[in-house]
Amino acid sequence: MSLLAILAPVLLLVIVLAFVTYAILFERKVIGWMQNRIGPNRVGPWGMLQTVADVFKLLIKEDVIPEKADRALFKLAPAIAFVPAFAVLAVIPFTETWKFTDFAVGLLYYMAVSSITIIGIMVGGWASNNKYALLGGMRSAAQMISYEIPLVMSVVGIIMTTGSLNLNDIVHSQKHVWFIFPQIIGFLVFLIAAVSELNRTPFDLPEAESELVAGYHVEYTGFRFAFFMLAEYVYVFAMASLTTVLYLGGWNAPFGLTIIPPIIWFILKFLLVVFFLFWLRATMPRIRVDQLMQFAWKVLLPLAIFNIFLTAVLKEVPGIGHFY
Amino acid sequence: MVLGLVKGLGITLKNMTKPRVTYRYPDEPLKMPDRFRGIQYLDPEKCIVCNQCARICPTDCIQLTGKKNPDPEKKGKVLDTFDINFEICILCDLCTEVCPTEAIVMTNNYELAVYSRDELFKDIRWLHENNQNIRSENSTNLIKKPGGKTT
Repeated sequence: MSLLAILAPVLLLVIVLAFVTYAILFERKVIGWMQNRIGPNRVGPWGMLQTVADVFKLLIKEDVIPEKADRALFKLAPAIAFVPAFAVLAVIPFTETWKFTDFAVGLLYYMAVSSITIIGIMVGGWASNNKYALLGGMRSAAQMISYEIPLVMSVVGIIMTTGSLNLNDIVHSQKHVWFIFPQIIGFLVFLIAAVSELNRTPFDLPEAESELVAGYHVEYTGFRFAFFMLAEYVYVFAMASLTTVLYLGGWNAPFGLTIIPPIIWFILKFLLVVFFLFWLRATMPRIRVDQLMQFAWKVLLPLAIFNIFLTAVLKEVPGIGHFY
Repeated sequence: MVLGLVKGLGITLKNMTKPRVTYRYPDEPLKMPDRFRGIQYLDPEKCIVCNQCARICPTDCIQLTGKKNPDPEKKGKVLDTFDINFEICILCDLCTEVCPTEAIVMTNNYELAVYSRDELFKDIRWLHENNQNIRSENSTNLIKKPGGKTT
């Protein structure tokens, strides 16, 4: 048991790293296809080794620390950003048996731990001693804190229906109806807020290369830069898993197709969410910075609160009340 | 506004199935249009050593010498050496325009990247062996069509 307790997280880390490697390749491929291009195809068959080559290049780069940077914080920031990204995976139930914890407040844990990354980003921006990095870090902090609120509010509907913050219980209560159908408003708010939390297009203001030359990680090179990127893509993994668990029924098979093992169902739904993120990036332009905050506070938050009221009201309506 | 977002997503999704518009250039050579001004092809047999190409050349990149026809029965000169310096050649097409016998013509070849500048100095043999993708109007196997037009 204790051996498994050590090996399983290592295995998860390997899986996550493999996912990140091929998610980046697949992202570039999908964006390429959507722009009528081929995408990377030079390194390895079908470009399979492109990301490996890119990461290898980053690792052999010189590790530059700006002279006037705060050295200790500068070195610490990538770790602060990455560790929570991996830590949140502890509460994600992949299938009935493949899970790490049966944590009573799993959802709360996810939301709480994931916000620590903001500190890493802000520290990175501050310690770089660069105005663009600081601007990017501040924007990032403002954006991620603002969008965390609609993100949490949008899942309150699910918590009211399930009566639990445990992600396992949430999946179990989706045996018949996935929450995407009764909680469609919550789902849309969650999806938008999640994209914003991930700092991805159309909410990629913190790293807007055309405005901020890269945002909080301008001064970072080589391995440390790779760590920020890794944290970002591990969050893609985590957020796609969370979306699957919360709204797409987790490992539950639709239409009673239980012949296909639950892990395959989980992976399929998970990949659908990941594809959606890439698809969105290929389609949407960046949102304007002055509209960003208004959108979070004046549109998403009221919608999320409306969803809570709607759930509470519909719970009492006979006939459809058992869906909520 | 929301409809617009969905419409945009639809367009990108549809684009995924459309054919790619990129060229596989280094793997497959690009097909240049007719009348492209590429590296010259030289046919020494046709040359009458009139020197017009060297004189019209705006960058003076052509150097040629002739010798007396080895056959004493025939008049005129034959080509001895012919060099084009592609460091300064601007591929302006004037030498091929002015050539009275079409001894020098354009091809659709364009790959002149080399590791040393010396390699850009092309001689009579190299130019004669550059016999692929010759401009169709000047091609040696012209197909005569009624009305004097060729294809």
